[in-house]
Amino acid sequence: MRREAGGSTQLARMISELGKPADIMASADYKVIDKGLIPAHADWNILFASNQLVLCYTDQSKFAAEINAKNWYEVLARPGVVWGHSDPNLDPCGYRSLMVIQLAEKFHNQPGLYDRLIANRPEANVRPKSVELVSLLKTGNMDYAWEYQSVARQHDLKYIQLDDHINLGNYKFDPFYAQAQVKVTGHAPGTWTTQTGQSSTYGVALVKNAPNRKVAILFLEYLLDPAGGLKILEDMGQPTITPSQVVSDAVLKALPGNLPALVEVKK
Amino acid sequence: MIAVEDVCVQLPGFTLDAVSFRVGASEFFTILGPTGSGKTLILESIAGLVPITSGRILIGGRDMTDLPPERRGIGIVYQDQALFPHLSVARNIRYGLRYWPRAADREEKISQLIQRLNLDHLLDRAIINLSGGERQRVALARALVVAPEILLLDEPLSALDPNFREEIRYLLKSLHHETGITVLMVTHDFAEAHFLATRTAVISAGRIEQVGPVVEVFNRPISPSVATFVGMKNIFEARFENGMARAGPLALPLAGPVDSACRFITLRPEDIRIYSASTGAKENASNSFIGLVTRIDHQGIFCDVWVRSDGLLWQVMLPTSQLMEKNIAEGCEVRLQVPPEKIHVM
Amino acid sequence: MRRIDPFHTLAAVCTLLVVGFIVFPLLEMIRQPTAADLKASLADADVRQAIWLSISTSGTAALISFVFGTPFAYLLARRDFKGKRFIESVVDLPIMIPHPVIGIAILSLAGRQHWIGRVATDLGVRVMGSLTGIVIVLTFVGLPFYINTVKNGIEAIPRRLENVSRSLGATAFGTFRRVTLPLAWRSMIVGMILCMARAVSEFGAVVIVAYHPMTAPVMIYERFTAYGLRYSQPVAVWLIFVCLGLFLMLRWLNPAGRTRA
Repeated sequence: MRREAGGSTQLARMISELGKPADIMASADYKVIDKGLIPAHADWNILFASNQLVLCYTDQSKFAAEINAKNWYEVLARPGVVWGHSDPNLDPCGYRSLMVIQLAEKFHNQPGLYDRLIANRPEANVRPKSVELVSLLKTGNMDYAWEYQSVARQHDLKYIQLDDHINLGNYKFDPFYAQAQVKVTGHAPGTWTTQTGQSSTYGVALVKNAPNRKVAILFLEYLLDPAGGLKILEDMGQPTITPSQVVSDAVLKALPGNLPALVEVKK
Repeated sequence: MIAVEDVCVQLPGFTLDAVSFRVGASEFFTILGPTGSGKTLILESIAGLVPITSGRILIGGRDMTDLPPERRGIGIVYQDQALFPHLSVARNIRYGLRYWPRAADREEKISQLIQRLNLDHLLDRAIINLSGGERQRVALARALVVAPEILLLDEPLSALDPNFREEIRYLLKSLHHETGITVLMVTHDFAEAHFLATRTAVISAGRIEQVGPVVEVFNRPISPSVATFVGMKNIFEARFENGMARAGPLALPLAGPVDSACRFITLRPEDIRIYSASTGAKENASNSFIGLVTRIDHQGIFCDVWVRSDGLLWQVMLPTSQLMEKNIAEGCEVRLQVPPEKIHVM
Repeated sequence: MRRIDPFHTLAAVCTLLVVGFIVFPLLEMIRQPTAADLKASLADADVRQAIWLSISTSGTAALISFVFGTPFAYLLARRDFKGKRFIESVVDLPIMIPHPVIGIAILSLAGRQHWIGRVATDLGVRVMGSLTGIVIVLTFVGLPFYINTVKNGIEAIPRRLENVSRSLGATAFGTFRRVTLPLAWRSMIVGMILCMARAVSEFGAVVIVAYHPMTAPVMIYERFTAYGLRYSQPVAVWLIFVCLGLFLMLRWLNPAGRTRA
């Protein structure tokens, strides 16, 4: 089995515009599949996992003994604390980090919180890929960084878990999440698009005209099995949607193989 | 003036071993030896330019072993002069002045020295445009202008054309005479040592072999390597008994008693008398023997005659005119006669 | 008809191949962006800032190399000691270590997980994402070029000149100032230019230690991944011109590649 990793948006474009051969596409943002692949290159989308943002740190971080879910936004504002996130223009985790802060401002009723925290985060603390933040934390070059919970657990980092209202992890709170908006660069320097807050829900789809369709279906059956793939994801720290979901009965009926038995309909 | 005591210098690839000698005040002393024997190393050790592994160096009675070179008051002139290429002749000469106290008549002395060395018309020139002799004179001026107590010369004449060599040779002799400075000169040319120096040391492969007045070293070398170096050509292993030296089948009478440690006899080529075998004075004298001329090398006024006798090869030197008179030619039989007092034992 | 020596033909062919190999990619880089792209790139303050940052940090690295590298190069040129070959190899190490490894190593030393990093942050010295960090990295990669150039330059000066200077009364430092330096300054300039040229082009190590503030190579990479070829090429072209200028200066200062003896 061959695996290719990359930014979801970019990969969807490669399949749809460049005709790159693929059997299965999975994305950290199911909307990428909805917008980019359906209906020309995929018929359906199964939501199978989620993730939430957490604030990671190590025992060498400043104020590590003190920080908790109630005072983190005050600690991050303290002078001398080095905290960062990934580049919003290149990595969804980046703009999601900023959204969490915006939501925290509203949820915890802290006017001006976002501006205060950004003021304490020089550009040097922004990195192109969020995984770089992990090594910065581990070498002690950074005190706090925003990451997905799965990444935090896989790298044995300490982390603060946040309320569902602000952690972008629970799709029930999508209306609340939608209050957050971040401007990111578009296709050319000087152009911008706006990203609106929503939960990180992972989708997986079978690409139309997949060269290895039969085997791909077998793989999906394994992936979506609560005792199989989903369990592995959970063990690795990735919260899953068990059982996995599709948006309508019509979609359920269209699923090939044993897949209908493994999913349920949630509108 | 200079006392070198048991100096050893250990370098990767070469060792100077237990070098000891003395140089008197105002003496002109040479160190003789083949190339690569460590002569330059001795000079640089005395000047403090090379660290010494063990031993002492005393100048004027003061131990200078740990003193940095700039405080020793020793000038050095290298074989290739080592003139500073980025400075003019005048600047080269005046280079060291700023490090020494200023005497009232310093400027006068400097111009005297420059005149004496015939350099006044060259003062503004760049170094590259000078001839060999001019460069050597600039190097001497540069070293002498700071009035050092000791002057070290590293083969000052070898790099010069023969025409300049004689000029500088005379210059060195008269400078030494006029200034009374102590000079230590390194060379591989024995003729220079004869002309310039009173005492000399012979060095070979990092060891001093012999120290003494030039004439004595020249005539009474104490080891085969020194003997070869001073031009003694006929060196043979010999046993000594009953006033005779036996080298191979040959027995030669000696002039005096012999130290039991001696193992060699040696003779200067010009000390052996050679006659055609057909003529031959003093036949059957105990110190003569017959041989065959294998080769004659003509060297102009003199010639070298190689004679083989009983397995030994002798080199004899005589004036070419005598060669004709005595009717000696290649292939003919000759009689060699060895005056006992000329046999040198080692 | 004159016979042409086959060796000269071979040499000519190789010359053409090598020159072509070097020039064609560069020509392509310069040819592709339009004049408008180039102008827009230069007008962008961020681009100018990045190029300036590259030049100033590289220059700083060259100066540091000059100050600390010169005595070391002098030692290597003049003295033999046990382990000299080893030290000389150590000096060459930065040349062959993969660049990201250099960045990672420096970051590991600079973070609070290491005692050096703790001392540094307590003193208020920041390495990650700072000018300090960039200069440290650039000095690391540029030092070998400076040291080797100056070492060769000093070796070319006969030791006897320094010996004579000492015998005339000059101290070791005085000798360096009056004899060695005037004869070796060209190799020091060349060494600094080589160091700077190497530092200007450094990417793999810099991008790990400091993504911001952005040096020119990091910006070229960032623009390429974010916007594509069209927006990164002009920055690359301006950087090439700057580097060309540096090398021309090098050749002008040291015409036949010779140092005065």
